[in-house]
Amino acid sequence: MTVAGRLPFDKVLVANRGEIAVRLIRGLRELGLHTVAVYSEVDRTAAHVLLAHEAYPIGPAPAAESYLRGERLIEVARRAGAGAIHPGYGFLSENAGFARACEEAGLVFIGPRPDTIELMGNKLAARRRMRASGVPVIPGTDEAVRDADTAGRAAAEIGYPVLLKAAAGGGGKGMRVVRDPADLAAALRQTMGEAKSAFGDDSVFVERYVEDPKHIEVQVLGDGEGRALHLFERECSVQRRHQKLIEESPSPSLTPALRAAICATAVRTAESVAYRGAGTVEFVLSPAGEFFFLEMNTRLQVEHPVTEMVTGVDLVRAQLDVAGGRGLRLRQAEITQRGWAIEFRICAENPRRNFAPAIGEITALMEPAGPGVRVDSGIAEGCRVPIHYDPLLAKLIVWGEDRPRALARARRALEEYILHGPIHNIPFHLWALDQPSFRDGTYTTRFIEACFDPATFAPPLAPDDQEALLAAGALFEAARRMAGTLAGGPDYVAGAPGRESALTNWRRAALRRMTGRD
Amino acid sequence: MWMKKRYLLRTPDGEHRAVVARQGDQLAVQLDDGALRDVDAVVVHNGRALSLRIGNRVHLVHLSVAGPRGEVTATLLGRPLELTVLDELHALALGAAGATAGSGVVAAEIPGLVIEIRVREGQTVKRGEPIVVLEAMKMQNELAAPCDGVVASVTAQAGRTVNAGDTLVVITPSAG
Repeated sequence: MTVAGRLPFDKVLVANRGEIAVRLIRGLRELGLHTVAVYSEVDRTAAHVLLAHEAYPIGPAPAAESYLRGERLIEVARRAGAGAIHPGYGFLSENAGFARACEEAGLVFIGPRPDTIELMGNKLAARRRMRASGVPVIPGTDEAVRDADTAGRAAAEIGYPVLLKAAAGGGGKGMRVVRDPADLAAALRQTMGEAKSAFGDDSVFVERYVEDPKHIEVQVLGDGEGRALHLFERECSVQRRHQKLIEESPSPSLTPALRAAICATAVRTAESVAYRGAGTVEFVLSPAGEFFFLEMNTRLQVEHPVTEMVTGVDLVRAQLDVAGGRGLRLRQAEITQRGWAIEFRICAENPRRNFAPAIGEITALMEPAGPGVRVDSGIAEGCRVPIHYDPLLAKLIVWGEDRPRALARARRALEEYILHGPIHNIPFHLWALDQPSFRDGTYTTRFIEACFDPATFAPPLAPDDQEALLAAGALFEAARRMAGTLAGGPDYVAGAPGRESALTNWRRAALRRMTGRD
Repeated sequence: MWMKKRYLLRTPDGEHRAVVARQGDQLAVQLDDGALRDVDAVVVHNGRALSLRIGNRVHLVHLSVAGPRGEVTATLLGRPLELTVLDELHALALGAAGATAGSGVVAAEIPGLVIEIRVREGQTVKRGEPIVVLEAMKMQNELAAPCDGVVASVTAQAGRTVNAGDTLVVITPSAG
């Protein structure tokens, strides 16, 4: 008997796109639930739409006109007869107003209560609340600072270097480091200005800047009634401009005692707000081994598969259990870490050009497979990567019995990955696997800044592999030109996207002729 | 008798010369000043890849057309290589016209909004120095100078949107 029979809804609308929408639809289907996809004008043939039971158009490509239009999503849910909405991550997942509107419309919002989203979305309010609950927070002001004098006094007390942070910010936006007291006034003005224009709120607070930290986060699940449990930690220190690129679990940097302390603190955090559903408590780990609450993400995160691979717990299923009133179906003592998992975000970004985003049609795609390899993907061959959304295409997650085996498997899987069309960051991941500080686990959030050089990073190939690569390029082009000039052949329209298949047979014939295999 | 054709392979890191030679059943490839090596090349994966046997090694290279003028994406062991394959006549013609791999044009690769221009005409810049800040796909991206040189012209304007391929800044590469 499926779980669906025991939930108060049998149809769920997935208010998202890309790889997470695919992940959610798969999870929902496994539970016997009916799935509803929504799509913007450029997403009609996107992977998540093709996999769902029902699909509805929701507007033009820009997110603000489609995936962010809460009232339209609720209207579609009603029309489709969906009883619940899963917001995924990003988009409206941490929009308290949307969560509230869902509930007012009689829909189950698969996530925390609106007031929890609101509390944790305001960094200042969250800090105050956490400090009051006895959770260690980074030394800093609990109120916004409005002028240079107040900021100066606070910074002197906290100790330089300090970080000026927008209270309404997130994802690394609206932050500025100040090392010299003389720079504080100007920095405060700029940060307040940026905060106002980016978030509509110029509240800025001052915090101690922890140099060279590691980013440790803990996955939690709460039943909404005061009980929570943890599913251990993830380390996400490989970041560029606060965007994570590689995540792993366990963290190579935690002693058992530190792990126990951080996880217990995360549980205390979740229980202090009677957290409902899946969430992540983020910490900063200083070089001296002190940890501080950074923020809580009140949603399922991109890197959740890493926890799933190591604990064996299906987090989407757990979310559905809580949202459906079945509570937490696990006991803390049953949750253990087994083996090691590492996730690599496959993004349409060019590491040679400062990770500039890329777009284009995916002309070839072969995702790796084999033991211990999981690919959560939102792309397929022939689809176009649009410009309107973020560049995450897929996630490669590997599992090994221990870290060295996970690293070896990661290299093997990345070397199997074929993705042609938009420029991607797989070479960056291969580079990272070779770096001493990544291999020994000592890397910090400064890893990319300190070690990565776009001009020289390209992961090398052995000489005979390099030779084969170039030879293949020459042979391919030689065969193509021959195909075009063969009498009676089709008009040679060199390389126009989409014409690839028309040339295939001719290329094959040409190469057969070249190698004398007619 | 060997029928030979020469090519120029242009990659982001430089150029290579290739000779593809055929004699009856046999195929051979020579790269730069290396030896002419026998190659057994078979098309696999429905035309998407070549399995090359060179010596005792086999290599699986996936290939896609990436543009109309000999642009190819070739991937081996997870490393994608964007190369442009030119036949030798074309290569000679390009050489005569003075086109260099180190062109000083900084262009938008995708549509976006110009946030900031960090240089002025006449300014000396070094390779890798940030030139323009563009906003696209919800993030700000710095475009860097592709070579050492002097800024010849700035056509971008802060606050204006640009299309893919629009020239933003032109740098006259410095000699040597």
